[in-house]
Amino acid sequence: MIAAALSRIGAIARKEFIHIGRDPRMLIAVLVVPVMQLLLFSYAISFDVKNVPTVVLDQDMTSASRAYLQTYRSTDFFNVKGSIDGLASIDDVFRRNLAQIAVVVPAGFGRSLARSEKAQVAVIVDGTEPNAAQLGQAYAIALNQVYGNRVLAEWGDRQGIDIAQAGRLEPRVRTWYNPERRSADFLIPGLMVVIIMIVTVQQTAVTLVRERDLGTQEQMMVSPLRLPELMIAKLLPWTFLAFVDMVVIAIVGIGFFGIPLRGSVVFLAVAAALFVFAALGMGLIISALAPSMESANIIALLIAFLPAFILSGFAFPLESIPPFLQGVSYLFPARYMIIISRGVFLKGAGFAELWPQLALLGGYSVLVVVIASVLYGRRAAR
Amino acid sequence: MNAKRIRLLIWKEFLQLRRDPLLLRLLFLMPVLQLVMMGYVVGADVKNLSTAVVDLDHSVVSRRLAASFASSGYFVITARPAEESALRPLLDRGDVKVALVIPEGTSRRLSAGGSVPVGIVVDGSDSRIASVGGGYASQLIAAFNAKLIAEQGLTVSGPGIDARVRVEFNPSLRAVNSMIPGLIATILVLSMSVIMSQAVVRERERGTLEQMFVTPISRGDYLVGKLTPYVLIGIVQMSIVAFIGRVWFQVPFNGQLWVVVLGLFLFMLTTVALGLLISLVSHTRQQAQQTVMFIMIPFMVLSGFIFPVASMPPAIVPITYLIPLRYAVDFLRGTFVKGAGVRELAVPLLAMAGFAAALLGFAVASFHKRLSD
Repeated sequence: MIAAALSRIGAIARKEFIHIGRDPRMLIAVLVVPVMQLLLFSYAISFDVKNVPTVVLDQDMTSASRAYLQTYRSTDFFNVKGSIDGLASIDDVFRRNLAQIAVVVPAGFGRSLARSEKAQVAVIVDGTEPNAAQLGQAYAIALNQVYGNRVLAEWGDRQGIDIAQAGRLEPRVRTWYNPERRSADFLIPGLMVVIIMIVTVQQTAVTLVRERDLGTQEQMMVSPLRLPELMIAKLLPWTFLAFVDMVVIAIVGIGFFGIPLRGSVVFLAVAAALFVFAALGMGLIISALAPSMESANIIALLIAFLPAFILSGFAFPLESIPPFLQGVSYLFPARYMIIISRGVFLKGAGFAELWPQLALLGGYSVLVVVIASVLYGRRAAR
Repeated sequence: MNAKRIRLLIWKEFLQLRRDPLLLRLLFLMPVLQLVMMGYVVGADVKNLSTAVVDLDHSVVSRRLAASFASSGYFVITARPAEESALRPLLDRGDVKVALVIPEGTSRRLSAGGSVPVGIVVDGSDSRIASVGGGYASQLIAAFNAKLIAEQGLTVSGPGIDARVRVEFNPSLRAVNSMIPGLIATILVLSMSVIMSQAVVRERERGTLEQMFVTPISRGDYLVGKLTPYVLIGIVQMSIVAFIGRVWFQVPFNGQLWVVVLGLFLFMLTTVALGLLISLVSHTRQQAQQTVMFIMIPFMVLSGFIFPVASMPPAIVPITYLIPLRYAVDFLRGTFVKGAGVRELAVPLLAMAGFAAALLGFAVASFHKRLSD
């Protein structure tokens, strides 16, 4: 009885493998593309802002103004591209996207400093990219503060006053788990989850629809194959391939990008298996619901790509989003897996810290496969 | 070209789309869903970071410092462990993302003068939290210092710098203001390539393509009849996004309408041609869909839509010039946010025109070649 069921599952799984093997492009899509994505994402994604193109307008032309502008040149945040000749050019430069920051030193800058007055300068930031603009604003304020303090200290020295007598707090920022803030360490544990989600949901989303389209579904229904057997057999090859993907990504991440793996590999593997199963189950639900391949594709795109990318906490912290969307984010397994993956890779966390996520993932995957079977059974009965 | 035949083909294409009622609904639901997710998540400023405060000083100053963190809006104090060693499990589990440690004797050393260290711990497993959280904390402490010094009446009338930092075009620094113009282009390329890529390959799979060509329909008729319905859908999608963006998210529009229409028309040609090309080179619908996914990911990542091009390593930047979406995002932000005109936007406009011409040329050429196979 069980032996017969196993052999039926084996037969369908072999059929699926043959399908996959027949389409070399598909195999490339599943095995090579994830690695390419990993490389691309790891190099390209960064919220670090550096080398912001900057132009300067020096209307003072004194040694004091030149010394002041030199400080912008000596940081790696501002990338001073050149000078402009008038205030009117700032808009033009911004609109052509040639610079994002303009520093204006008005005439009389040197004279004010020489008279021990506050010298005025203006920093104009292009707000089109708010993230960069916000940092640009903060850096400009900090740079001016530091420069102002230096001018004041030099003046104090000459006058014989010790300026730095007042007590002040000094922040010592420590970054745990990733002290050098390497972006590969941030990204790869999360990326792994996103890539797997994209590959698996998309693949299984179309598998049942295709059988229906090609008319092979009826043939299968008249065979002794049972529904849960079909589901498991459909999932097996993809579970295997997704697992291979995951291992390859982990090896590239550890070997090539040098990310640490501080926690238990076994725990990670168990969680990954549950996650892959949950993601595949989501694909099956789509497959059972979608009337055509086109809609299966679009739903998969909507469900796999966007929430995995946006609502998983991979790149955008979930604390900052509205509570309603936070609730929605619990409906997708990527959220749990990213916490587990980061915990195991970077924090060395294990079962003791991460059991709630693991339990949720387990419950989730069971639920999803059950829903998929029920939906599919109902459709097939019609 | 025969106008009546083209009209009939367009009609047929719409009938076919209507057969799958879910698809049509999805096509109009998709932009709305994307808009909501992108607008609220990607556009969200980092705030409400769950924070632990370890106050080992128990003084007025330490309580005031903790209070200034709590009232900033960036940090929400969710734990107050008694010892520093309790931080580890809190951060390990991800219960808190930031910790403020005020060492014993802070108040006493502060009144003695000089600089007194305060510990800030940020969770380095999330890059934005690490960079933004650390930055906010440092800013808050700087403001706190300024207040302390002002209270002590220690002001000196020496020289200094009075810097006026002003943000132009988007003074409130609202992320959605530049997110939504980019989203118009992104949604267009996503949905156009997903449905267009299936359009021709489906007919070939079913063998209806050959049938079509034994009728008097010419290839030109077929191509125009095939593209028009999708172009119309694309226009409706873009209008939905633009409308919700203007009305719901209150995104300002500073540009000229005809410039936007011109640019979007060029970009639409590019996306339609791209989808058509994918459809023509694929043998099965599944392959077509794989190819779309394969192309869309670099589009999303390298266009500067979410991740700024300026932050990418120099080796990657040249690749971004090959991505048509990059020009569309640049163009739409330029006109929406900065109110730039045709003269300033000549580079992205010409690039989009070039892409449209090249891809359409390719598509038409491979269309003829494919059919003679």
